[in-house]
Amino acid sequence: MADLEAYEVFQQAKDGDPMRHGGNVLAPDPELALHYAREMYSRRNESTRLWVVRRADIQVLEDPDLLDPPLDRSFKKPGGYVMRDKLAAARARAGTEKPAARATGHDRTGGRRGERP
Amino acid sequence: MTDPLALDPVLPVRQRSERPWNDDLPHDERYAHFEAHVTAGGKIEATDWMPDEYRTAVLRFVEMHANSELMGVLPEREWIMRAPTLRRKLALTAKVQDEVGHAQLLYRVAEDLGKPRDAMLDDLIAGKTKFHNVFHYPTKSWGDVGIIAWLVDAAAIVAQQALRDSSYAPYARTMQKICWEESVHIMHGRDVVVTLMTGTDSQRALVQEALDRWWGPLMQMHGPRGDRAKDRDLHWRIKAKTSEELRQEFLTIYVPRLLELGLVIPDPKLALDDETKTWTYTEPDWDELRSVVTGHGPKSQERLEFRRLNREDTRWVRDSILTPAPAAAA
Amino acid sequence: MIDLALAPGLRTALAELLLTMADDEFVSGFTDSEWTGIAPLLEEDVAISSISQDELGHARALYQLLATVLADGRDEDALAYDREPDAFRHARLLDHPRGDWADTIARRFLYELADEARLASIGDGYPPLTELVGKLRREERYHRMHLVAWIERLAHGGTEPRERLVAALAAVGPDAATVFTPLADEPSLLEARILTRPLAAAEAAWRADLTGILVPLGLPVPPAVTPTTDGRTGHSDSFRWLWGEFTSVRRSEAGATW
Repeated sequence: MADLEAYEVFQQAKDGDPMRHGGNVLAPDPELALHYAREMYSRRNESTRLWVVRRADIQVLEDPDLLDPPLDRSFKKPGGYVMRDKLAAARARAGTEKPAARATGHDRTGGRRGERP
Repeated sequence: MTDPLALDPVLPVRQRSERPWNDDLPHDERYAHFEAHVTAGGKIEATDWMPDEYRTAVLRFVEMHANSELMGVLPEREWIMRAPTLRRKLALTAKVQDEVGHAQLLYRVAEDLGKPRDAMLDDLIAGKTKFHNVFHYPTKSWGDVGIIAWLVDAAAIVAQQALRDSSYAPYARTMQKICWEESVHIMHGRDVVVTLMTGTDSQRALVQEALDRWWGPLMQMHGPRGDRAKDRDLHWRIKAKTSEELRQEFLTIYVPRLLELGLVIPDPKLALDDETKTWTYTEPDWDELRSVVTGHGPKSQERLEFRRLNREDTRWVRDSILTPAPAAAA
Repeated sequence: MIDLALAPGLRTALAELLLTMADDEFVSGFTDSEWTGIAPLLEEDVAISSISQDELGHARALYQLLATVLADGRDEDALAYDREPDAFRHARLLDHPRGDWADTIARRFLYELADEARLASIGDGYPPLTELVGKLRREERYHRMHLVAWIERLAHGGTEPRERLVAALAAVGPDAATVFTPLADEPSLLEARILTRPLAAAEAAWRADLTGILVPLGLPVPPAVTPTTDGRTGHSDSFRWLWGEFTSVRRSEAGATW
């Protein structure tokens, strides 16, 4: 006799949103798992799409050595480039002022403080 | 808003993802790492190593919560059949359905801690595990439907909101979903009560009579005052608030809402101390609470027996879907 | 809200059609809602409860439409609740009580497919009904998926489930075609294109649909019975009990707001 199996459910709340993990259901087979996912995660119309996958089929990677290797990789992130002081020095050398009206650049710098693209 | 130039997170990813209690260390060392993480507000996932004391405590807590949702279905489902309008019938069916759904979500959390659903149902029916005191009492009128959906659910949500910060992350996430649904139940219950209170004299009397019966159990529901320092569930941050904090919060929100409807709360000593902003009240009957939750309430045995029979009657269905279809078996 | 475009004779015929459809969904939804909290599996409990809510929602929408057609001051709740048991016009198939899970699946399966065949017979003669039926049919899709899944599982679920299902189909089968009990004035509804085919033709379509599912599973197809005119009157004791229950709170304070 088969056992009830756990199926993980991912839901998209509205068109264009990412799929988010909602929770899981127990079901005897994939077809009923889909029915039960609909009931448990969208009976109030709270999803536009569901992904239902057997828990046993999910591959998990959570090893910090693989996901976050320890050596410096700050060059891969915007925060790895701190140039406020260098910019000031460059302006001093060029004899220019910090521009008053600033537009946000594609590196997300330059906008008014607090502004986000 | 973050300065775009200071995007680095407070903790490096590595530090956030390191979970030293999962490493192969001597027990005491693991335990110390685990405890430091949890008591500092860290979260634990089902796949993490955890001390037996923690696992047992979370399981006991979640299992009782799941049992309560499952048993809480019974007093209300009796009224689905008798709901007096189509909309009320739909709302009540949907509410009871949610309680079943909550039982499912919570039993899933408990199952992932290692106890199979069947074992939990066995223990519930055998009286080895508990469920909330309020679900051991009978319902007598449509007034009960309003009082239960409004006040029992309100008392529950006060506790459940505090559990959204539980250190056991699967439970905390489940509480987010449950609290959202419970807020609809409270609206449904309050709407039933307000409608009856604007109705005929006998409709108003239904509500008052129901409140008179439910007030005692409601005041007992969060449990006796306890010593914060001695409470393991608080220490592990499985829960965040003491019984008395929850009761005070419940009273602060709901006493004014009951009084504004002209309802009389059946406790002459109930009063708000203006200076300390705390409620004083007649000491709840803790002997009654202990007796009720150990299976000696007016409906305890009848409801457990109902669950037992229902489980037996439907066993063949569960067995049938667990038999592989011929095509799949071939 | 009274629709003056309807001739009096047609209004009566349309009201009868709506009443039969609404009462079918109402009684079916009531019976199915008894499973809420006690279904065989928690996950299944939530599913069957949703289905009963869908049916009650359909009944509510149909009674609302009926209220505008009758325009006699009764709202959907008065239409649903404030009648004597003999005034209900649901099919005898739905008089069968909840029973066990096989009884429920058998009754629901036969009814659901019959309802589909009936909905597929609604034309464009009365636009408010056409529009409503479009919505109802979208919601019924899930009910069909759910039922077919269960018919298959019980048929293949071993000796006991199969025997229970066969027994349940035998018990409700003879009453299944009562959903297609001829209406008093079908010719008017056909002429007005409110119906696109007689209910007898819908029954034939239903029988073909059923056969396509039941025969491959080796299950009995309900016997063809001579159409009777009393398929929607003379209700069972089981329904009288149900009526006594579901009207009890409402009757306790006549005319009150709940």
